[in-house]
Amino acid sequence: MSRNVSTTRRSVVTIAAWGIGFLIFFPILWTILTSFKTEGEAIASPPSFLFFDWTLDSYREVNSRSDYPRHFWNSVVISFGSTFLGLLIAIPAAWAMAFVPGKRTKDVLMWMLSTKMMPSVGVLIPMYLMFRDFGLLDTRTGLVIVLTLINLPIIVWMLYTYFREIPGEILEAARMDGASLRSELIYVLTPMAVPGIASTLLLNVILSWNEAFWTLNLTAANAAPLTAFIASYSSPEGLFYAKLSAASTMAIAPILILGWFSQKQLVRGLTFGAVK
Amino acid sequence: MGSQTQSKADQPWRRWIAERTPQLILVPTIGATLIYVVGFSLWTFWLSLSTSTILPDPTFAGFHEYVALWKSKRWIVSFQNLFLFGSLYVAGALFVGTLLAILIDQRVRFEAVWRTIYLYPLAISFIVTGTVWRWIFHPQTGVELALKDLGWIGAKFDWITDRDLAIYVVVITGIWHASGFAMALILAGLRAVDGDLVKAAQIDGASMARTYRKVILPVIWPIFLAVAIVLLQFAIKTYDLVVALTQGGPGVSTTVPAIVVYDLMFQRGQIAQGAAAAVMILVALAAVLIPYTLFMIWRRRQEGNQHG
Repeated sequence: MSRNVSTTRRSVVTIAAWGIGFLIFFPILWTILTSFKTEGEAIASPPSFLFFDWTLDSYREVNSRSDYPRHFWNSVVISFGSTFLGLLIAIPAAWAMAFVPGKRTKDVLMWMLSTKMMPSVGVLIPMYLMFRDFGLLDTRTGLVIVLTLINLPIIVWMLYTYFREIPGEILEAARMDGASLRSELIYVLTPMAVPGIASTLLLNVILSWNEAFWTLNLTAANAAPLTAFIASYSSPEGLFYAKLSAASTMAIAPILILGWFSQKQLVRGLTFGAVK
Repeated sequence: MGSQTQSKADQPWRRWIAERTPQLILVPTIGATLIYVVGFSLWTFWLSLSTSTILPDPTFAGFHEYVALWKSKRWIVSFQNLFLFGSLYVAGALFVGTLLAILIDQRVRFEAVWRTIYLYPLAISFIVTGTVWRWIFHPQTGVELALKDLGWIGAKFDWITDRDLAIYVVVITGIWHASGFAMALILAGLRAVDGDLVKAAQIDGASMARTYRKVILPVIWPIFLAVAIVLLQFAIKTYDLVVALTQGGPGVSTTVPAIVVYDLMFQRGQIAQGAAAAVMILVALAAVLIPYTLFMIWRRRQEGNQHG
């Protein structure tokens, strides 16, 4: 709703927004700052806020000691791999639901979306047993499959909400001109849906990047992504705050940067398409 | 030649495929979801009725493991924690989210920036969130130390090491993580409220606080309900946040059901009891989702009647 607001009040409100924003962002900021300190400075009392000797030592140490690049690469492969596989399956499905809806399409869609609410722990045991039998434990392939499965409903749903905004007449015109289904999907629909597909991709990469239930339970040293790496780093009552901060910063930086440059997509994605 | 293609296209099975393509395309997606959700849940249920220990064992044992589960102290603590955490987390996130949404609704400068910053916690994994907040709550490194540095020698803030208070540490961290989500949805709701309604209230001389409380917020209650449902299912799923923040401790004071399943399965080799615990979590989720779904269907019917 829009109201006339006086300039003074607007300034007060803006300052309040600054304050609260800073408060909310503080834990993240503090982690980032600490990652540039030495271990001694990280636990110094009183803590130094900005005035300390900035150093990259923690980053160097984390990189050299703990196979950080491999975990990072695992995260990239798993999150993008599952996202692309998911899109490949979901784009035709969302097309069918959005442009050739049947009587039950809406119900099917709502059912699919509701399955996203199912706690993964409910199927942990069978999943683990199957992974063991197929030799998929601690492999990136296995994780790509699981993450595709759990995120498929959300991908279909997001794509559906975007596809619904594309006028169906354009697709019909292409069909009249003799375009086959495949060329209709590839040459007509996909280019128009690029913004929607991009935000779906962003959301899904974030979800898979952050996923920790399956990565903690199904991986060990080999295929562990960053989430599992940080969890292992912090478990023995970690006293190495600077290094822990460096590892955490490296894990969240890609998301923060990606999110900053696509704010609209971030908001729409994280609210599952509810906020446009 | 024209007639040849015609006859080819006229073959019944080809036409059948052409007409059914949209439905056929859905088969892999629906099939995969069905197998994953329904198939694997039933498999879990079946395991929970067996005598499986470290390896699956198909011998039927009835509901024996459920009885054993509900007798274990740890499971009861974890379920109590789920109720306590779930209700405070949902209420807290809704409250803070509403305040943030109202704040941003006042036409703040750089609105998009604030919206993004308030949403940032949601984009950060529970693992990193838990790791950072454990540090903030730890007496020797976080808030307590900062207060002492500021000169308050007797400062004490050691909830995370206190059996009775550690669960509130999880609640606060959860609220930090989820408030932005509530804010974004509530803000969208506020923006969609009919402007005339608001003007009418203001002409009647209602203050801003009163306008929000009596006029605007009651209109958007379905959004509160939807946000609450989404957050409740997050609460039921909670696993990685607690693992990173408190590891379920001190003792078992912050254990949640998902951690118990993990523990039974991997640490104690009791697959059947772990499966029984997993089934109970699914039941908890159903207890939230089924009433909500029925209520939404009922409401849609009511609206349909009114309009029709």
